[in-house]
Amino acid sequence: MANLKEMRLRIVSVKSTQQVTRAMKMVSAAKLRKAQDAIIQIRPYAEKLHEILVSLVDQNGSSDFENKYAVHKETKKILIVAITSNRGLCGGFNSNVIKKVEELLATTYDSYHEKGLVDILAIGKKAVDGLKAKNIAVSETVHKLYDNLNYSSAETIAQRLMDAFSNGEYDRIDLVYNQFKNAAIQKLTVEQFLPVEITEESGPDADPHHYFSNYIFEPDVNEIMGTIIPKSLKIQFFKAILDSVASEHGARMTAMHKATDNASELVRALNLQYNKARQSAITGEILEIVSGANALQGS
Amino acid sequence: MYLEIITPENKLFAGEAELVKLPGSSGSFEVLMNHAPTISTLTEGQIKVKDSRGNVAYFEIRSGVVEVKHNNIIVLVDASTSPE
Repeated sequence: MANLKEMRLRIVSVKSTQQVTRAMKMVSAAKLRKAQDAIIQIRPYAEKLHEILVSLVDQNGSSDFENKYAVHKETKKILIVAITSNRGLCGGFNSNVIKKVEELLATTYDSYHEKGLVDILAIGKKAVDGLKAKNIAVSETVHKLYDNLNYSSAETIAQRLMDAFSNGEYDRIDLVYNQFKNAAIQKLTVEQFLPVEITEESGPDADPHHYFSNYIFEPDVNEIMGTIIPKSLKIQFFKAILDSVASEHGARMTAMHKATDNASELVRALNLQYNKARQSAITGEILEIVSGANALQGS
Repeated sequence: MYLEIITPENKLFAGEAELVKLPGSSGSFEVLMNHAPTISTLTEGQIKVKDSRGNVAYFEIRSGVVEVKHNNIIVLVDASTSPE
């Protein structure tokens, strides 16, 4: 029973790990709330922008819009933007994104990948590490985005992507990220970022207030479209980032909750084992004393 | 009329307004009660808002879009900072 002390140490160490995971869970919960607030903040903007876009399309039809971001060219070069986090310990959050990218390369973009026509932009350190481990070349990385996440920093990256598209560097840009459903559920999403699909909301249930209020357009429709489309793209990108951040914290919270539960289970089992060992040590000792005393009496 | 000034990160203004002056791309313009429905892009400049009690507030913007519809004014602006 020499390992009684070892077991005691083990229990202490598991307990301290549990404390760490519990603290991390609390921190993630707080950060999650903040990230969720950011998503809620962006929602009215995104909705109104969409509304304006819809009323524009409504009145003018979507076919005659010419926009450099909506040009469907023959797809020659593809960019995949993998959005992950900078930190780990959040369950399958990052590895899911990496797996999806790998899958895309092996299936949908199979033929492009073989010719080296798929570039990957990794946002977050984990995407870089994970893809490197799978021998997938990452052409560009962005880490600093998360240090001080705000609209203008996301906008800068979005603008760069849009420029790369409009000057013909890429003919298609996809985003791979975790969409935020709730704290426990993240939905892995592959979203076409560019070229833009202008969806015309036609159909019976499209627009409840479908009246033609004859708008005055200043300066003119095409000009307005020219400003709104880049804006909505930037918003789409920013929203993807915010979703990913919220998902990250949600995933970490769940992972840490599980870790805490596992730790308490482990502590319980170890305590039981420890008490059994302690008891049998005591029993052994008593046995020795009693038999020693008996032997003395006998002689 | 009801005015909302929204950025991607927060709401700068939401409430009743009497007069809104906007830096439109083709010239500055004012919106009063019962203005015709309008969609316009905005350039860098200042939005002046006079609320129902006559208080005046200013917002600096870099760019934006405004929609005026049935006395509802929605201004979507980018990277604006209200002067401290």
